[in-house]
Amino acid sequence: MNFLSNKSYIAWYFVIPVVFIHLFVIGIPSILSLALCLTDWSGLGKINYVGFENFIELFDDRYFKKAIFHNILWTIIFLTVPVCIALMCAYLLTGIKRGQMFYRLAFFFPYMLASVVNCQIWKYLFHPIHGLGGFFESIGIEALASSPFTTKDTSLYAAAFVDGWHFWGFLVVIYLTGMYQVDNHLYEAADIEGASKFQKFRYITLPMIRPIFIFSLMIIIIWSVPVFDYVYILTGGGPAYSSEVVANYLYTHAFVRFNVGYASAVGTLMFFYVIFIVGIFGLLRRLGWEI
Amino acid sequence: MNKTIISFVTSIVLSVSFSAFSKTKVTWSMESNADRDPIFLEKLQNAYNNAQDNYELEIQFEPNETRIESLRTSMLAGMGPDIVETPGPSYVKEYQEAGMLENLDSYAAEFGWKDKLIPWAYSSGVFEGSLYAIPKTHESMVMLYNKTLFEENGWTVPTTREELEDVAAKIKAKGMDVYTYGSSGWQPTHEHLVGIYLNNYAGPEAVYEAITGEREWTDPVFIEALELLKKHMVDEGWWSGSLENYYAIGWDDFHAQFATRGAAMMTIGTWTFQATSLGIGASDDEWGWAPLPSLSSNSTGPNFMIAIGTTMSVNAAAKNKDGAIDVLNWIMSNKDVVIDIASDFEFGEFVVPLLLDESDIPSSISPQVTSYLNEYARITGEGNYGYCTWTFWPAEPGVHIWKDMEVVWAGDISVEDFMSDHQKMWDKARKKNETLPVPLRD
Repeated sequence: MNFLSNKSYIAWYFVIPVVFIHLFVIGIPSILSLALCLTDWSGLGKINYVGFENFIELFDDRYFKKAIFHNILWTIIFLTVPVCIALMCAYLLTGIKRGQMFYRLAFFFPYMLASVVNCQIWKYLFHPIHGLGGFFESIGIEALASSPFTTKDTSLYAAAFVDGWHFWGFLVVIYLTGMYQVDNHLYEAADIEGASKFQKFRYITLPMIRPIFIFSLMIIIIWSVPVFDYVYILTGGGPAYSSEVVANYLYTHAFVRFNVGYASAVGTLMFFYVIFIVGIFGLLRRLGWEI
Repeated sequence: MNKTIISFVTSIVLSVSFSAFSKTKVTWSMESNADRDPIFLEKLQNAYNNAQDNYELEIQFEPNETRIESLRTSMLAGMGPDIVETPGPSYVKEYQEAGMLENLDSYAAEFGWKDKLIPWAYSSGVFEGSLYAIPKTHESMVMLYNKTLFEENGWTVPTTREELEDVAAKIKAKGMDVYTYGSSGWQPTHEHLVGIYLNNYAGPEAVYEAITGEREWTDPVFIEALELLKKHMVDEGWWSGSLENYYAIGWDDFHAQFATRGAAMMTIGTWTFQATSLGIGASDDEWGWAPLPSLSSNSTGPNFMIAIGTTMSVNAAAKNKDGAIDVLNWIMSNKDVVIDIASDFEFGEFVVPLLLDESDIPSSISPQVTSYLNEYARITGEGNYGYCTWTFWPAEPGVHIWKDMEVVWAGDISVEDFMSDHQKMWDKARKKNETLPVPLRD
């Protein structure tokens, strides 16, 4: 009874409903999924234990390897392009006094739209008949005759571009929030010392927003693992697996090829990869890194 | 007097209420389509409900993208609709193996279903010797062409590869695409083309031997068939001008292209008849259809690929099994209902494979569709039919044929390697008893 009325446990009581829901919606299915990776379950019917057969097959699967490579590329792209643009824009925005809200809203707006809407807009824009290609052709210019989403050499980058276009506004907002928390006296001192805008950014802004910046890198690395919607809608992983990513590969095996056991093996590897990344960041924090 | 009136009204109300409440509900989860749903509600659900007093059919519409998954989840939970609609035999196989479908043998014998259905269509629902599914619609692949355009230019509808390549060159010289077609929104579109080339180059006999395990998919005749497809698709850009455009074009686009002379021909399934009639029908041009040309001497004479579009089964855990059987039997016993609904879709949907006579075809449908139905019946009746991949390929080789075909077209692997992989998948499917029913060939 004392335990129930103990004030120090009150926070726990409020958290219990959420834990309960997570347990049933995420916890149990995750454990089941981990178990299914050792079976050949089709999604219906009998479940046969196959040991590590799915993993052996997976490590020999050229398209799975290709998907992993694409996820790595995707991560690199997102750790560089949107981050750089967002940092630059956020920094420039701090110097804008009038109309800043308009820019913030404009940059953030794509992030508020559903992925399917964003994707359809870009698909229409690059449509070979009705899109920009068709328009250029009508005025005698040979450009964008083929959609970059359906061209093998560009499909992954085109999908990443659209996802990045929707995402970078979010980064602007969080970087901007960090930048407004920087003590203005530091900039005033730098001004007295004759520091340039770049020097102020490099030696004041960036170090001061480091926790937010590192956090953004961590979520980019983690979010790049289950990347799915933009690839699925824009390219379906094609053409010829040229934009295949691990989550889409998992989806195809689970829901199209009736290979739930195999898909679970893919999911298990994704799970351990995320745990690994989170572990690294946790370790760095324990080592005293300000992240 | 007042008492008499009150008791009369009360007895009517009670009898109506009793009749309504005495009906037990039968549920059917059906693929939704904005144009088709009202017709199914009126001419199937309401017509059935008005035709008898025992059961109340309730059709629940849902887009296939989500329906297939929600159906699987509910079936796994021992729930699900009474009538189980699947996109094809490979799905039926999965449910049947899991023991989730009712064995229909006794009902088929009791109601004489075997005598009402086209033999090959009936046998497509027979798994391990027992009937588990009835086709909701059957279909084939055809070549559509702009008849007016062909007549204006004096082009002949091709029946052989030489004629096809000749007319293709002429069409391209006019600045049009040879065929319009595309896979945007539906990647399995590729399998339509692969099926055409396998059947019309290698020939239906060779395909039959391969799907029954008498011939390997690595046989040179299949390699040559897919090499030819690659040449026409990649090197010559027959479909929508280029491989990239083929990937970028979807259902509305290729119908618009066909209607506006962007292309002269279209390779497509018979499910398109209604859309084609409405699309090009709105222009001044007239459309025609033809069997797909023979692409080598292996494929002699015209043939039609046979296919099942959707299937109907009874849930083994159905709350109203008798009602579900009654609905299926009502459909198969009322060909007027089937013909009426199919006519609304220009025989592109709900073509339940009932045995029909020429006189059964209503005059309301377009002359092109009438002539197709007659030719289809005549030619397939003579045993000249091939095999569509989505009806006769097990799940994994079936996905491989469309998903990995892009890798061949991209030049990442050779056709030989592709077919070698394909054979391995068939071997695996055979080993796991995943192959699908194939009607015996005469």
